Amino acid sequence: MKTHIEERRKKLGLTQEELANNVGVTRQTIISLEQGRYNPSLQLAYDISKTLKAKKIEELFEMK
Amino acid sequence: MLGKPEWFQPRKYLGWGVYPKTWQGWVYLLIALAILAIFQVMPFWSNTTRAYFTIVWAVVLIIDIADIMIRMKRDEREKIHEALSDRNALWIIIIALIAGVIYQMISSGLTQNVQIDWTIIIALILGLATKAITNIYLDRKD
Repeated sequence: MKTHIEERRKKLGLTQEELANNVGVTRQTIISLEQGRYNPSLQLAYDISKTLKAKKIEELFEMK
Repeated sequence: MLGKPEWFQPRKYLGWGVYPKTWQGWVYLLIALAILAIFQVMPFWSNTTRAYFTIVWAVVLIIDIADIMIRMKRDEREKIHEALSDRNALWIIIIALIAGVIYQMISSGLTQNVQIDWTIIIALILGLATKAITNIYLDRKD
């Protein structure tokens, strides 16, 4: 899975730790997501999209 | 109960359980061990009293650590990792137990006196029952 979490997070001036705290996961999970190594649940993808103010989940997550 | 989940983190590389993450966790551990040590050096206690208090304190600690582990927050990725590592560990344990039973059957069968350690059989049956109960619960839940 390819994600655009890192670009969007930096655009909003959030650190990995802040994003992790906002969506209730560890920083390590955010790192794995940003590197496309972990496929999140729909709930987590939705929470991240909401926190990063994406209109659609597809803006942040795309299947390779 | 006594300890708080935020004081600890789950063991990942050295067995099961928890280990201290914050200074409060270390204080908890030191106090728990100190109380155990104090029970061993109480001059006016008989051995029976000492054993009684030691067992009661050990049971309190086991229940408290179990409570900490249950209440400990893990995100979905950590839960998946924990489930997979526990599943792999369980498979190795099951294979080792079955190999142990087979070895006992063969080695004792050679002497025409088959002997099996029933605690191993009971452990396997309890594992089977736990798996079935867990699956029934999960099927009903979602």
